[in-house]
Amino acid sequence: MFWGCTIPARFPFLEKSVRTVMDALELPYRDVDGFTCCPEKSLVNNVDHGMWTLTAARNVALADELDVNVVSPCTGCVSNLATVSSDLKSNVAKREEVNGYLKEIGKEFKGKNKLQHLVPFLHDDVGILKIKNALKKNFRGMRFAIHYGCHMMRPSHALRNDDPLDPKKFDNLVNNALGAESMQYMTKLTCCGQGLDRVDQHDTAMDMARVKLRELKSLKADAMVLCCPSCFLQFDNNQFLMERNGEKYNVPVFYITDLIGLGMGYSVEDLGLTSHRVDITPFMEKWHHMECKRDHKEELHDELSSMGTFF
Amino acid sequence: MGLDKTLNFDLLQKCLGCGACYDLCPSSLHIEGYDPRAVIGDILQGEHEKWLEHKSIWQCLECHHCLEICYQHYGFENAMTAMRMLATKKGLNPPQVKRGWEMFAKTGRLGEPAMPARKKLNLPEPAASGKEEFVKLYEIYKKSKEAASEDKGA
Ligand code: SF4
Ligand code: SF4
Repeated sequence: MFWGCTIPARFPFLEKSVRTVMDALELPYRDVDGFTCCPEKSLVNNVDHGMWTLTAARNVALADELDVNVVSPCTGCVSNLATVSSDLKSNVAKREEVNGYLKEIGKEFKGKNKLQHLVPFLHDDVGILKIKNALKKNFRGMRFAIHYGCHMMRPSHALRNDDPLDPKKFDNLVNNALGAESMQYMTKLTCCGQGLDRVDQHDTAMDMARVKLRELKSLKADAMVLCCPSCFLQFDNNQFLMERNGEKYNVPVFYITDLIGLGMGYSVEDLGLTSHRVDITPFMEKWHHMECKRDHKEELHDELSSMGTFF
Repeated sequence: MGLDKTLNFDLLQKCLGCGACYDLCPSSLHIEGYDPRAVIGDILQGEHEKWLEHKSIWQCLECHHCLEICYQHYGFENAMTAMRMLATKKGLNPPQVKRGWEMFAKTGRLGEPAMPARKKLNLPEPAASGKEEFVKLYEIYKKSKEAASEDKGA
């Protein structure tokens, strides 16, 4: 598991949520000693492309050494590692240069194992059915707005896991594993815009966050579901900053494993959801309410069925 | 420094008559004044200097939408990245980028695990950091780059 920098440093509760679900599904995974920053693109690649490449190559070499596939809950990490990896695989001269440096620390880049984001991993390797069967309660009747996160599937020549302009896997998880409705909305594939917060343009970052929040508020989405710590920062923390200034959107934000975990029966505390900034109570109440309604409907259905006349 | 070394001017020339990616580019759609083709036009004219201090070049979100839809598989992003790298070389990168890079170069990370919060959440000890080896690698890399530029200078 490649955790990256942001999750352990800023959002350890997301790590908690991912670990809880991975453990519950009994998926074998391990932490790896020696991983560094992936590295992040805007802060590192813009300054020194050589060091950006070399650092990513070293991380991949660590996975090569242990012969393990890499899964990351951060879209940026996967995208950066995969971009460098595919570049080095197709550019022999660059690979030799990189390996020349790595040799001096006893490493070699081969790039022979899979690099995947957690969402395609859950979809392809774990499977919808397994997740669905692990849920005690599903989310029928709830409407979720998926935020894909650009770097889960782009650049597609490096990641090769979903259609870069019309992705489906996250939708499949929400519709078929969670049993909720994945809403189709205008700005669904728009970038979160959090990158602007890393280059001293906070106000513009806030404006980008508003693009989606405004639409989701008017469509009355029950929640936003995403799969990246950077997007989480943009929509949970920055939405909270707006709330403090009286600008309310009331869109609770969940990481995909938060919802799988809730469905499995883990509590809000178990999953670290108490650390989310935007209030999730209305969401929990509605979910509970939908469930009662469902129970009631099912009772009626049973009653009518037992009468034998209608069914 | 000639941008024609890092960018393919023939491909960029096509942008001027195309513009297909505007409809997908989040910054073009939502940030006032963000116009990659204006920057590309100036790059082709050799007048890119005036953009180096402009915040536009840092407003590209590297979301790769332009790359994916581009019939040349090139995209606005290549021009924006080249401009950012050039601005950085001249020390015109935003302070936050400078701080981020410094932290990265020193520790190999952009943040250290939040220990008290981890304890509260009952999370395991974080895996060992690769800092030492990373710093060693960085030193080797720096020395070899310095040697290469001295060779060039001599
Ligand atoms: S990568 Fe940059 S230029 Fe390309 S679509 Fe995204 S924001 Fe626009
Ligand atoms: S980057 Fe590609 S899609 Fe965009 S304007 Fe240029 S040629 Fe057209």
